[in-house]
Amino acid sequence: MSVDETNGFFTDVTLCIGCKACEVACKQWNELPADGYGLTGNSYDNTTHLGGNTWRHVAFVEQMDRTTPAESRWMMLSDVCKHCTNAGCMEACPTGSIVRNEFGNVFVQPEICNGCGYCVPSCPFGVVAIQPQSGIAEKCTLCYDRQKDGIEPACAKACPTDSITFGPVVELRKKAEARVATLLARGQHVEIYGTKEQMGAVGDLNAFFLLPDRPEVFNLPPNPVLPSTYQPGAYASLAAAIGVVALASYAIFRRRG
Amino acid sequence: MITPDDVAASLGRNDGGFGREQSSYYDIPLLQKPHWGWEIEWYFFVGGIASGSAILAALSDVLGDPADASIVRLGRYAATLGSAVSGVLLIKDLGRPERFLNMMRIVKLKSPMSVGVYALTAFSTFSGLMLTRQAKADGLVPFDPTGWVPRLPLNLAWAASAALLGSYTGVLIGATAIPVWFSGSRHIPAIFVCSATSTACAFALAVLTLVPGTKSSAVRKLERLEIVAAALELALLRDYRKRSGKLGDALFAGRIGQTLRQTTERFGIIAPIGLNLPGALERGEHIGRAARVRTLVAAGLTLAGGLALRQCLLRAGKVSAADPRAYINHQELGRTSGS
Repeated sequence: MSVDETNGFFTDVTLCIGCKACEVACKQWNELPADGYGLTGNSYDNTTHLGGNTWRHVAFVEQMDRTTPAESRWMMLSDVCKHCTNAGCMEACPTGSIVRNEFGNVFVQPEICNGCGYCVPSCPFGVVAIQPQSGIAEKCTLCYDRQKDGIEPACAKACPTDSITFGPVVELRKKAEARVATLLARGQHVEIYGTKEQMGAVGDLNAFFLLPDRPEVFNLPPNPVLPSTYQPGAYASLAAAIGVVALASYAIFRRRG
Repeated sequence: MITPDDVAASLGRNDGGFGREQSSYYDIPLLQKPHWGWEIEWYFFVGGIASGSAILAALSDVLGDPADASIVRLGRYAATLGSAVSGVLLIKDLGRPERFLNMMRIVKLKSPMSVGVYALTAFSTFSGLMLTRQAKADGLVPFDPTGWVPRLPLNLAWAASAALLGSYTGVLIGATAIPVWFSGSRHIPAIFVCSATSTACAFALAVLTLVPGTKSSAVRKLERLEIVAAALELALLRDYRKRSGKLGDALFAGRIGQTLRQTTERFGIIAPIGLNLPGALERGEHIGRAARVRTLVAAGLTLAGGLALRQCLLRAGKVSAADPRAYINHQELGRTSGS
């Protein structure tokens, strides 16, 4: 899969008005169960987090400035699966259910997943989760079915301000860079979240964001970890311990005299 | 009376103004919690005992001291039973248990879960073969299909699969995005190896103390090995605590930390070392009643401590996933993946 053919999302926080049309469109198209009517008191965010039933989540960040109220900000970010270049979930999956499809997206094949749940703690963004009704891991498919028919994902289609845009990642990146330049020229400090320079071993995110503040403000990890990078150390620890215990056992159990 | 400051304070959970410290998003967990429940806690425990029992049996069989025949016999039965129980627990834990065979669609060395599936499969197969060999010697079955295979290669293969089964679980949880686990990725696999050894020794000691005809030299060897493994385990736990810093709080602080210190460290490691020490240093043929009681108590404590260790580790993963601040602060210190 060459990068040119990879499709992704570019989500621009400065354009989001928090209407949650993306959340609704996603639920409707993908026939995801409702989350109930609980109120959190965290601004307008009653969805809280992505999960097995929630593949788009709008975060609401209130930054109130008492001394200069005009400086206050109310920011919204529509969070989604990042479709990582090196995806922790995909590396962890023992059944091969999680694959990269022909559009370059990380896709859980629902008929293969057996719900072992290992992808869940392996995602550094806390995206994929076991869906309680189906018992399998579920997350954003980047509307694989719609893409196969040549139409854009439901969330991007529903977004009234084009905060969410869909397309080939190469084009989205150019668009994002142009947008950053425009905003910087206006004196607004923004940056792109999801380049391999920041993401380290995770690599470029194929669903990336334009953020007016630090990532953790939006519950995004500043430097996500790729779980497999811990494997060499873990296997070394395993081998060393087995060696030491084997030697001790041999010394104790060998026949004397 | 409500002052403007109170209003600002109530708005200010995600406190106000640019440039002010805003360290998380309403403290909502950034990571998903691992869903593993009691099945996996018990699987880690039973699998550890089965793996350690197999290694003890294979070693005793290869070294061939006739006094250790009871260890060989027990290990073969315990390993087979343990592998069967492990399989059932693992399948029960799946979201879709009827699809467990999908685990064997592919071999994927990059996924510790896949490595573990094949470790358990190999271990169960070899345990079954060794069980048949034992059953033939015990006169329970008429023939042993692998009777023509020399004992050394068969025991080596069995022990290798056992060693992997008892330790891959440490890689499984160590190499994840859960802070308390990845901060111990160099410790947890080694801790599991030591704990598998000590709990298997304790299990064998408990059984062999209760059945007649056990040779005292076999008991003493088990006690010695258990002391070595338990001491190493304690040292590794202490080092894990020291090096994991804030990320280790989910495991080493609070109620989980208290359980770990009491049930695992004090009662499950230090006390059994003390109780086993007199027997381990003894050389005589006779084992008195008091010594038997001591051995039994030590075995019970070690087993309880081993189970508590696995429960603490797995539950700490859930606590750690629910704490976004530790993860974010850790990253701001510039310690990124792989370090």
